Formats: sequence, structure tokens, C-alpha cells
Amino acid sequence: MLLAIDDTDMVIGLLWLLGIGIVATIGYVLVRLTRQIVSVFRQRRYDRATGQLAPLWRDSKVIAVVAQIVFGLVTVALVWFLWNNFTTRTDRIGLKLNFDFLDQPAGITIADNPLTPADTVAEALVAGFTNTIRAIIVGIPLALVLGTLIGIARLSSNWLLSKLATAYVEFFRNIPPLVVIIFVWSGVYLTSFPRPTESWRPAGGWLVFNNGRFGFPSVAGLDNFGSFRLVLLLALAVAVGVAIWRTRVNIATGAPHHRIAWASGSFVVIGAIAFVVLGGPAEFSKPLLSENGREFSGGIWMQMPYAALVSGLVLYTASHIAEIVRGSIQAVDRGQVEASEALALSGFQRYRFVILPQAMRIAFPPLINQFLNFSKNTSLALAIGFAETTSIIQNLNGQSLPAPQLTLLLMLMYLLLSLVLSLIGNFINRRLQIVGR
Amino acid sequence: MAEQQINPNFLGEEPLGAPTIRPPHSKLSAGEWLKTNLFNSRLNSIITVVVGALLFWCGYLFVRWIIDIDFTIIRDTLRVFMIGSFPDDELWRLWGQAYLLVLAIGFGSGAHARRNHDQALLQGVASDEQSLWSLARRYWPIIAVLVFFASFAKTFSPMLLVITSVLLAVATRWLGWVAPAALRLRAGFIAAAAVIASMLVVAGTSKFGGVVVGLLLFAWAATELRRGDPATSRAQQAVRWLVPLAVGIVAYLVIAAIGFEGFGWKDWGGFHVSVFTAVAGIAIGLPGGVLLALGRRSDLPVVKTASVIFIEFVRGVPLISLLIFSIVFLPLFLPPAWETPTQLTLAIVVIGGFSAAYIAEIVRGGLQAVAKGQTEAAQALGLSPGAMQRLIVLPQALRAVIPAMVGQFISLFKDTSLLFAAGVLEFLGASTIANNQPQFLGKGLAPVTLLFVAIGYWAFSYTMSRESRLLERRLDTGR
Repeated sequence: MLLAIDDTDMVIGLLWLLGIGIVATIGYVLVRLTRQIVSVFRQRRYDRATGQLAPLWRDSKVIAVVAQIVFGLVTVALVWFLWNNFTTRTDRIGLKLNFDFLDQPAGITIADNPLTPADTVAEALVAGFTNTIRAIIVGIPLALVLGTLIGIARLSSNWLLSKLATAYVEFFRNIPPLVVIIFVWSGVYLTSFPRPTESWRPAGGWLVFNNGRFGFPSVAGLDNFGSFRLVLLLALAVAVGVAIWRTRVNIATGAPHHRIAWASGSFVVIGAIAFVVLGGPAEFSKPLLSENGREFSGGIWMQMPYAALVSGLVLYTASHIAEIVRGSIQAVDRGQVEASEALALSGFQRYRFVILPQAMRIAFPPLINQFLNFSKNTSLALAIGFAETTSIIQNLNGQSLPAPQLTLLLMLMYLLLSLVLSLIGNFINRRLQIVGR
Repeated sequence: MAEQQINPNFLGEEPLGAPTIRPPHSKLSAGEWLKTNLFNSRLNSIITVVVGALLFWCGYLFVRWIIDIDFTIIRDTLRVFMIGSFPDDELWRLWGQAYLLVLAIGFGSGAHARRNHDQALLQGVASDEQSLWSLARRYWPIIAVLVFFASFAKTFSPMLLVITSVLLAVATRWLGWVAPAALRLRAGFIAAAAVIASMLVVAGTSKFGGVVVGLLLFAWAATELRRGDPATSRAQQAVRWLVPLAVGIVAYLVIAAIGFEGFGWKDWGGFHVSVFTAVAGIAIGLPGGVLLALGRRSDLPVVKTASVIFIEFVRGVPLISLLIFSIVFLPLFLPPAWETPTQLTLAIVVIGGFSAAYIAEIVRGGLQAVAKGQTEAAQALGLSPGAMQRLIVLPQALRAVIPAMVGQFISLFKDTSLLFAAGVLEFLGASTIANNQPQFLGKGLAPVTLLFVAIGYWAFSYTMSRESRLLERRLDTGR
């Protein structure tokens, strides 16, 4: 049987991580310090034996150890002083310093989320964090694509295009992301789209736009949908295998690999066979909105603040990514371009096979930074009321729940997010870099 | 060492500062220019037509929108956008602050430009022209946007402030250029004194002012005493510490006795608070960041771990969460007897720590760029670790990271838009207030106010980022 982990346990786990981190750090520092002290003693014994013992206050190693002990004691004293003030003040306002409130009802609702006011604080926190992740997962790839295109456009030989890209970059780089987001929200989406009762329904009603939410078609499962999904997962594995096989063939024999065609072909074929065999396990679902614009069903719905947050951040981050991409393309050795021209590669081939692979290697470390910035900037949703982590916490802070603990959890959640993202980034970066040399 | 290129000017073959000859401009007719830049291939022709059409259409829509805009909301609430609810009687403090800041920037940049000019002449390199025209070309967005702001005012006094400030900037820059060398050498202190005075005019109390002025005078006296020969005897060294200390303490006692009272930190808002917070954040963050960077590179595990934890923690969380921290946590850490400071004060403390962490990473990059031979040479000369950092490593490291530091200042200036999370109504927050006025409520005027705000942010950030690129190029070629 699986361990039953509920949302409260996950939040408490975060606190455990913090505690373990603190204990481990203090332990690490103490071990290092002890080792240093031991080595100082050894050194001094040796010095005494060889008759070159310096007085204590002239021995730079002794000074280093003493300085660190003093620094550590001052830090401990400061922390103790702050903690003392903290407990005195929280006592005075009657704040309990525990995390029992995680199991209490949160008393808030979130748009487009089944959460009810009776659900616990921990569940609300997890819902908020999920919304943050949703914004990041959609936003970062979009920003990367848009930024790369604009970065390439800035280097285009077409005067109009390159000047347009420059204007884009110079405009968005120099205004705060929050202004972009609020402008997209209140200036574009709220004013340009009709009210829910007068929604636009282009493409025969398969798309729905109004100033409350956007609806897109989605795939809905019928009978056997679970097994169909399983088969699709297997097909994906097969497709990856085929792609690897084609790459190996290409490396071994030099025959063209066509790995994308092979992989997608095998995926589609397996999927189609499974679809027929399982008797049509899925269908497209149309987004449906009632006439009064309140009830919605089917399809996949995107609330307007979410759309505003993601598109605003994408516009802003793309301008930074464009600069990184342009810089790294220009950093690729000029001889590479000349060589590819000598090989008569087309413009697309030149970018796809020669320039971009090398440029991406240079661009990746600063790109990780931009991805981290993007994920931290999702907290700006606080200003437009999209219920991600920060908004939820601020919302809960207003519910007579203990604000200090909630704020601590807020910071811990973002720390965890940054840590995981930079670990992934560093892992990919290590794979990208050329080994050796 | 690589062989140094000897400039022929040193050999007296050419007059100093001979004009550099540029390659001739290729003259293209309009048709040829179009052909090479817009229609040089089939793909480019298609792109040109599509982009051109799109641009034309968007431009048409935008111009129509601009023409239709009614700027009454800006005209009626300009004061909120600029200074929040700062009272009328105290406005002279803001004028004083603006003039003192302009003085600091003008004099400092004038002296700096003159130093670069003299150095260039000495090396026989052509130096930049310093004409009014070139200054106008460099700073036009800021001047234009200030005039734009002031043009919405109902009285003439804001425009008067802008015009006199620009004139003062030009005058003090000229002063910085022509001042005697002794004054120019101390331009940094003069500028710092003006900046500190500008802060004290608005928010100073005599005690606080005493501390700041005392520190400044201490630093000044210490530098003056060190300017000559190195100290030889222990007594001389003691004098070099004790005299500045005495100067600083006397200055503190004198200023603290005056009984000066500033306006304080309440009722601030608008553009004023955005600029102020950014400047204060950098002022706190710079020394803090240098210390953190040195701590992170130190061999002492306790110091190193503490620095790493602070830097990585601050960089790992969004600024908004830190601002929430400043409201929720920071007052609780203060001794129980103290009263809670204003939200702006708390926010500035947090923003100072925030920028310290980011500046620490920038400075660390600069420290890594200093060649190892430099520290080894300093050690060989018998410099103490402190003297080595102060005299050899930091000057080189900080010089290399000036452009990145300007970039950090820009992003801090943009980040001040998050102050709403700490309950401070800065430039962007003012647009919310404006739109919530009863006469504008629910009229959908948010895009108009946001356009106004965006123009303000853009002009300042754009000018600064261009300046930083200029600096970068100059530092690269200066080697």
C-alpha cells in the first residue's frame, strides 16, 4: 500500500527540509571549524618543536580561528536577541508559534478551483503552488521561443525586421514587468474582449473569448480512456527508442536519420491502431458557455488573470532572452558561419545545424537565470488577483491566520522552486557543455 | 606579459589628440538602399511587406488611440503621481532635495568626464567631445520625460523646477569640468555630501544626520591623511586612525546638538518615492554587497557559510515575498520598547538587503576577474590582507563591474513598482489611486494612467542602460 500523504504532510515536509538544512549547515560549519582548530594546534606543536613558534597574536591561523569564533558568537547573540524580541512581541499579541493552523479551514475560495471555504489551509497552499507551477510550465517555453525568434530577428539582414526587434527589446526591457502585466490585464484583455454574455465564438464555437475567461477545445475521455492513455505512453517510449535508433544508424552509416519523421510516424501509427482497437476511447470536447455567461463546461478554460500574467511575463522575459540569444549568436566564431556558407548550407540549415547548437551552449547559463526570474516574477500575480502562491498567502494573511508562519512558508516554497529549477538547469548545462579541453 | 603597443604619439610624430580618420561612408541612393536592406532576397521581400503592413496597421490603431486619449485624469492627479500626499508647506524640502541631487550628479559627472579627458590626452588617445549637444543627445529621454510630466501641471512651478534643474545640471557639470584639480580630486566626497544633504533635507533628524555626516567626515579625513607617503612608524599609523575618528565624533556631536528636524518618512509617494527607494537601496546595498562578496570568497568557513546562506536565500525568493516579510516579520524583530517604524522605512531596509545580495554576486564576478598575479604581487610587497583588498583588489574589481552595477540599479528602479506589496504607494500604485477617484472610477482609464507610468519608467531606465553600455565600451577600450 502506498503511504497516505495529504497536503498538510507536504507542507510540514517543507518545514522538515528547512530544519534539516539548518542543522546540517550548523554541523558542517562546526566540523570545518573544529578541523581548523585541530590543524592549528598541530601546526603550533610542530612550530614549538622546531623552535619557530610565533606569539599567539601574530599567528595568522590563530587570528583566523579567533575571528571566526567571535563572528559566530556575535551572530548567535544577534539571533538570540531577535528571537527574544520576536517571542516577546508575539506573546503580547497572543500569537501561537505552531503550525496547527494548517488543518484549520482556510475560509477562502479560488476561481476555477473546486476548493471550498471548508477546505484546510494546507490544501489552499497546495492549490496555490499548483497554479504557480501551471504559469511557469506554460510561460517559460513560450518566452524561450518568442525570445529566440526576436533575438534572431535582431540580427536579420532585413532592416525593417531588425529595427522592429530592437524597438521591442528596448521597450520591454526598460519598463517594470508589473506594468506590462497590469497593462495586458486592464488595457488589453479587460477592454478589448466582450462581456461573458456577448462572448466571441469563432471557429464554429470551438473557441470562446470573453473578458472573464478563454475557452479552448480539449480531449475528453470515453470508455477505455485509461488504457488508451497507457498505450500512448508506451507509444511515446517507442518513439523515443526509434529516434535514438535512427540517430545511431546515422552516426554509424551516415544515412540520413529523419528521426523526427520516424518517431512521430511510429507514435501516430501506434496511437491510431490503439484508437481503432479500443473503439474510439476519446473525443474532442467543445468549450460550452451558458447564455448568462456564468456556467461553463467542456473544453479547457483559462481564466483571464492567468492569461494576463503569463502573456505579460512572456512579453517581458522574451525581451531579456532575445538579448541573451543575440549575444550568444554573435559570440559564435565567425569562421563557423563562413564555413557553413562555403558548404552552401541554406539560411535555415546554417542556423539549425551550425549556429544555434553552439550559441545555445553559450546562452544556457544566463537563460537559467531568466527562467528563475520568470518563476519568481509569477508572484506579481498578487497585483491582478490570479490565485497563485503569493496571492493565496496574502489572502490567508487576511483571514486571521498567523501571518509570520504563512510568510515563512511562502518564502520556503519559492526557495524550493528556485532550488529545483536551478538543479535541473545545472544538470542540463553540464550535459550541454563540451567535456574535456 | 604581452608586449605593449607603443602609441606613435608618444614619439612625437603626430600632434597630441590627432583626429582619428574614419572609413568613408558609402553613399547609396534611396533605391539602392531599399534594395540592399529591404528587398535583397525573395524571403526578405516577403518579410518586409508583411512586417511593414502589420506595423502600419498597429501604428494606425495606436495613433488613433493616442489622439482619442483624454489626459484629464493625469492633469487632475499629477500630484499623486509625482509626490503622493506630501504636504504643501513642506514642498521646499523636495525642491532642495532635487537641487542637491542634481548638484551631486552634475559636479560628479563633470569631474569624472574631465579626468577621463585628461587621461586620454596623456595617453594620446582621442577623447570624447564634451559639448552641450552631446550631453543633450545622451540625456534627452530624461529631460523630455520631465518636461512631459511637468506639462500636465496646472501651475507653472513644476515646469520651473524642471527648467532650473536642467540649467543647474549643466552649470554644475561645467563647474566640475573647470574646477581646480584639488576640488576635482575630491569630487566623490563632494557628490556624496550633496546626496547625504539631499536625504537629510527631507527625512533627516539631527541625530541621524550626525551619524551619517560623522561617517562621511571620518572617511574623508582618513583618505586625506593617507594621500601622502605611507605611514612608517606606529605613532604615525595611530594618528591616521585617531584623527579621523576624532573628526567624525566632533562632527556627530556638533550636528546632533543643532536640533534639526526633517519631515520624516510619512506621506511619501509617487515618482519621488520610486527614485528615492532605488537610490537608498543601492546606497545600502553597495557596501553590504562588497562585504558579502568578500565574505563569500574568504577562507574562513564560518564567514563564508553565513554569506552564502544570506545571498542564496535572498536571491531564491521573489522581492514581493521579502516585502511581505518586511510588514509581517520585521516589526516583530525589533525590541519590544520601540514603536513600529513606517512601512517605507521597513521596505527600504529589506530592499537594501535585497540589492546587497545581488550586488554581492556582481562584485564576486569582478573579484574573480582580478588576475591572481595581482594578489601575489601585493603579498610579495608585504601588504596586509586588508590593505591588499583595499588598495589592489577592490579598485580593479569594482571598476570592472560598474556597467553591471548600473544594470542592477536599473532593475532595482523597476522593482520599486512592487512596493505596493509593502503598502507604499509609489509611481505605479498612484495609478490605482487615480483610477479610484470618484470622478474616474469605472471609466476604464487604467490604460491611460499605465501609459503615463510606463513612459516615466522607460525614459529613466533606457537612458541609464544606454549610459551603462557607453561605460562598458569605454572600460573595454580603456585597457
